[in-house]
Amino acid sequence: MSANRKQKAVDPILMSVFARTFRSITDEMSASVVKTTRSPILCEAKDFVTGLYDAHGNMLEQTENLPILAFSLGPVCKYIVKYFGDDIHDGDVIFHNDVFSYGNQNNDVAVYKPIFHDGALAAWAAVKGHQADIGGAVPGGYNPNAKEVWQEALRIPPVKVYDNGKLRRDVWDLIFANIRFDIVQHDLKAQIGACTIGDRRVRALLQKYGRGAFETHKTALFDATEKMMQAEIARIPNGTYSGEGTVYFDGHHQGSKFTIRVTITVDDARVKFDYSRTDAQTDGFVNGTYTSSASATLLTFLQFINPDIPHNEGMVRPIDIVIPEGTILNARYPKATTFGNHLCPPNADAIIRALAPVIPDRVTAGWNNLLCSLTTGVDPGTNEKYVDIGFMGLKGGSGAMRGVDGYDHIGMIDASGGVLDQDYEMFELQTPHRLIQHEYICDSGGAGTWRGGLGVETRFTIGSDATQLVTFGDGDFEPAFGLFGGHDSMLNSIELNYPDGTKMVPRNKDLILGVPKGTLYRQVAGGGGGYGDPRQRDRSKVAEEVRNGVISPQAARDIYGFDGEGT
Amino acid sequence: MASASTARRFKVGIDVGGTFTDFFVREAARAPVIHKVLSTPADPSTGVLAGLRELAGALEKPLDLATFLADTEVIVHGTTVTTNATLTRRGAKTGLITTAGVRDALEMRRGIREERYNNRYTNVAPVVPRYLRVGVKGRLDRHGQTVEPLKLDDVREAIALFKKEDVRAVAICFMNAFANPAHEAEAAALVRKELPGAFLTTSTDLLPAIRFYDRVSTTALNAYVGPILDHYLAQLQKRLREAGFAGALLIMQSNGGVMTPEVARKSPALTLLSGPAGGPIAGLAAAKPHGKECCIVVDMGGTSFEAALVEKTPVVIKEGEIDRLRCALPMLGIHTIGAGGGSIGWIDQGGLLRMGPHSAGATPGPACYGQGGELPTTTDANLVLGYLSPDFFSGGRIKLAAKAAREAIAAKIAKPLGMSVEQAAAGMYRVACTNMAQGVRAVTIERGSDPREFPLVVAGGAGPLHSCVICNDLDIALQIVPRESSVLCASGMLMGDLRHDFVRTFVDRLPDPRWGKLNALIAEMIGSGDRTLGSENIAPGKRRHAVTLDCRYLKQYHEVSFAVPLAAIEKRDAKAILRLFHDEHNRLFGYALEQEGTPVEIVNVRVQSIGVTDKHEALGQKFAGADAAAARKGGRSAYVFENEKFATIPVFDGHRLQHGNRIAGPALVETVTTTAFISASYDAVIDKFGSLLMYRKGREDLVRNALEPAS
Repeated sequence: MSANRKQKAVDPILMSVFARTFRSITDEMSASVVKTTRSPILCEAKDFVTGLYDAHGNMLEQTENLPILAFSLGPVCKYIVKYFGDDIHDGDVIFHNDVFSYGNQNNDVAVYKPIFHDGALAAWAAVKGHQADIGGAVPGGYNPNAKEVWQEALRIPPVKVYDNGKLRRDVWDLIFANIRFDIVQHDLKAQIGACTIGDRRVRALLQKYGRGAFETHKTALFDATEKMMQAEIARIPNGTYSGEGTVYFDGHHQGSKFTIRVTITVDDARVKFDYSRTDAQTDGFVNGTYTSSASATLLTFLQFINPDIPHNEGMVRPIDIVIPEGTILNARYPKATTFGNHLCPPNADAIIRALAPVIPDRVTAGWNNLLCSLTTGVDPGTNEKYVDIGFMGLKGGSGAMRGVDGYDHIGMIDASGGVLDQDYEMFELQTPHRLIQHEYICDSGGAGTWRGGLGVETRFTIGSDATQLVTFGDGDFEPAFGLFGGHDSMLNSIELNYPDGTKMVPRNKDLILGVPKGTLYRQVAGGGGGYGDPRQRDRSKVAEEVRNGVISPQAARDIYGFDGEGT
Repeated sequence: MASASTARRFKVGIDVGGTFTDFFVREAARAPVIHKVLSTPADPSTGVLAGLRELAGALEKPLDLATFLADTEVIVHGTTVTTNATLTRRGAKTGLITTAGVRDALEMRRGIREERYNNRYTNVAPVVPRYLRVGVKGRLDRHGQTVEPLKLDDVREAIALFKKEDVRAVAICFMNAFANPAHEAEAAALVRKELPGAFLTTSTDLLPAIRFYDRVSTTALNAYVGPILDHYLAQLQKRLREAGFAGALLIMQSNGGVMTPEVARKSPALTLLSGPAGGPIAGLAAAKPHGKECCIVVDMGGTSFEAALVEKTPVVIKEGEIDRLRCALPMLGIHTIGAGGGSIGWIDQGGLLRMGPHSAGATPGPACYGQGGELPTTTDANLVLGYLSPDFFSGGRIKLAAKAAREAIAAKIAKPLGMSVEQAAAGMYRVACTNMAQGVRAVTIERGSDPREFPLVVAGGAGPLHSCVICNDLDIALQIVPRESSVLCASGMLMGDLRHDFVRTFVDRLPDPRWGKLNALIAEMIGSGDRTLGSENIAPGKRRHAVTLDCRYLKQYHEVSFAVPLAAIEKRDAKAILRLFHDEHNRLFGYALEQEGTPVEIVNVRVQSIGVTDKHEALGQKFAGADAAAARKGGRSAYVFENEKFATIPVFDGHRLQHGNRIAGPALVETVTTTAFISASYDAVIDKFGSLLMYRKGREDLVRNALEPAS
């Protein structure tokens, strides 16, 4: 009786200690990944997520460096628990990337490690990161020509690479025999290491407080978080709201476009996102998976509520997401899906458009959409191969909201300022290119009472012959939109000016071969949308921005109705 | 006039903080003197002088200010004027001249938004607004070769703008200048000629290392705070001189070393994060008598909690941040979190109890200060839990109102959570301790060190009230509370050497770098160090130069810094250098790529020139035996967290405790500036230097040399 009472009694203080400790564990796992990985996608751009889950795969906490990967880890964990059933042991390590069993993108490979206490499965530690290569037809995985998953990647359904603490050498070798670069092995070892750190600390926590207290307080923590989320949802008026976002070009059919349609139903303390009316899947790699699309929905919704909410299972309980199979957001086996993470911006557009009339003071205007390029070649100075992902060029502005301007040069909403520019001098050291310009663009922030974040212009000369350029993204057909009288921003664009004077504009999903040395690369990442009538913008701000050259005198006069001469 | 040949008696450390200015005075063969006065933020030198006057008058044999100062050999001064100028954006009006096309790098900060889901989280204001950031034509490539000559007309235009705008400080930073300072030197010459009154910094003088954003941000910060520090130090030197001081004034740096005011005025950014920099070395000094070469040092103030790791020397990081702005000068790796005595407790929407990061500060302060504060703080919880005495806070200078503390906790915490005031206070205490324990994790576990291996040196008035819980959480067996715990930074200032850091970028591969060039760069930096130390009157025999290389495996993005004996470079011993690199990489990250044969690349070479200063030997006390009864001043009811109950526990007067006195936990030890709580799982003993050692019950082995007379 007393033991029972002990288990049931919730100590609100201990609950706080658990919550804080979970977060510190996932942060520590994250720090370990940054320091030990070699691929710049992981250690510089932080394209990975760390998390802890309970024995059933319910999310305890996550450190979401790049949010778009974040909300696939829990569903996969649940799948793994079901898949292996009784056959899960202390010392197991499981890999997974399969997009047809809740993975979000082929390149995002997750490592799961079960955590045992008193001989029973108690929790899971997991790290999912974007690998430099995952097999398939094209190095790095972005293959605009792919139509099926096998042209994109090696599929890894749940597989044990360690069994009871013993490396399964044959399985390990099978996997890495199908992946081009050795650093992927090193980086996955680093991910396993980070899971071990999580394992140790959760074990210590269980030893200290016991399984009973852990379970009781975990449940209470979920309930408390659920209450927080319900309170956030309850601040949105009941009703059904619809919005649309557009995807341009599937990589195969010039002029093709697809519509994402969301219907959001708010019913007191629950919210449902229903994508049933969304267009059908495409023939190419421009398709989402359920978890990449649901991640996009969640991370967008999280932008519009209290940012302090803990990220655990309780947070997602009051949220239903319906994405029928066969739509562009949830492609049917065996479709190609590598572009799926980048369907987040148009998905976010649809959600914002639906909610803007209902919670006008909490949504932002449209964010700049991703348009990315990647150059590879041989550096004539060192005779070595280089790969550069153009992080600095792709980061446009975020949308403004009531009371706050958009964030300048933040990048797409699915990273929300988590992906950083290359340092200019490291860029010139690691590639043969020479940077000419990387600056804010005047008038790129959508005009408004609150202005959209600024976009940037990037120009560099390409320093190697026979350079290969890959582009993937969007935002070159439709700019970030303004709200409530705020203006749209400008379009994304990439162009190549060859030394012979010809100009070439790649498509937004393209593969260009043989770009010669001396070619001038130019990219525009547009700004974010503005919010409210520009004529209402604080005059002293307009004056300051004219002085700083981020609003032109002409725009100040014509759009902002500003006749002052500055201060 | 004091005879130059007679050694002066006093050495003074002065730490100007946001609320208090701390003084620490050493005199040969005497116990050190501690003093605290309120800071005077409008002109901190006023508070410094006032404090010195009070302090002189409070000496065992009181002196007037002039006599005291005339007999003072050195004053080491830690100042936060540059820190505050940056945090409040009240630095000088500054212009930036940079390469055309990249003038926004300073403001972009590589495009980071630190809070992913918070759309109200705005970018920080740059220290140079865009209209004063001017791009000029002229370009160097990655090897420092001129691609396009510097266009001086562009520089002239910038100068004309700066004149018109009444700019007081100028920063110059060009792309790839780390490889060739020529363009920056050319532009600087023109600025000096045309704008002779402006404070000028070039990136190659301050930090000739690769990474443009780091360099431009550091250079701009240096210019921005230059005129401020210049003015402040001039003021301070004048006042001290007028008051009769003829000794040496030294300024604390962020790297834990000290420098002359002349060096500080040239590189004021070196002081930006110097506030807590005296703590780690003072912490080590307290740990050394117990055979420890390494320790964790924590300092709990009113609004913040600082943690640092010392491994033989304080851990140095190559770059830090101030208000989210990058400052890439070497500095001590001190981790700060918003947890202090003033941290406010609150309940979030989900019903979770949180502590901080908001603080009640000095005004209105904790509810128990009775100055109108209505929000419950850590200090209020400590009062309710019996850890603080209402009548002996700050030695009785501040009366604490227990009723106000209880009311605040009842209204904001206990009622909403449906628990008693005592339970709520215990919860606040525990959550605050959990937060602080995470701060300790950040400087140990997250940097690859195991906290269980180190003693915890505890500073700050309230630090020793919380350290037993922190140590229980982290399984640390020994805590050391130094006698000067409440002014630890000021005491550490007298232990610092003159330290000057130099860096050059030198990108080449081992095992066959251009040895001649590498040796020449090192010789050049050592020459600069010698000149600087010479100007600071350091005799050649007291100078040391330490070489560090920043290396990485090819294609890695982060370098590993490791010390290299100068002889290894002179003898071109690549094998020895590689051995050091692989070992350090393995130590930090748990693996090396030696077997794989991955090439190793040098990126930067660094020299630290050290001028060893004279330090007084600390004076030890006589052994007085184990019996602490003479210091017992009573008992009171306090919360013992191990069994979650209140119990009446003994209270000791820390000023009367002597070397060898032993106290069994649970117990409280009070001094005017500090209260320590020895929990039920610890016992304590006083060591020869007056430090309170709290050790896990049964672990007398850790404090052996405090338990018996020194042999």
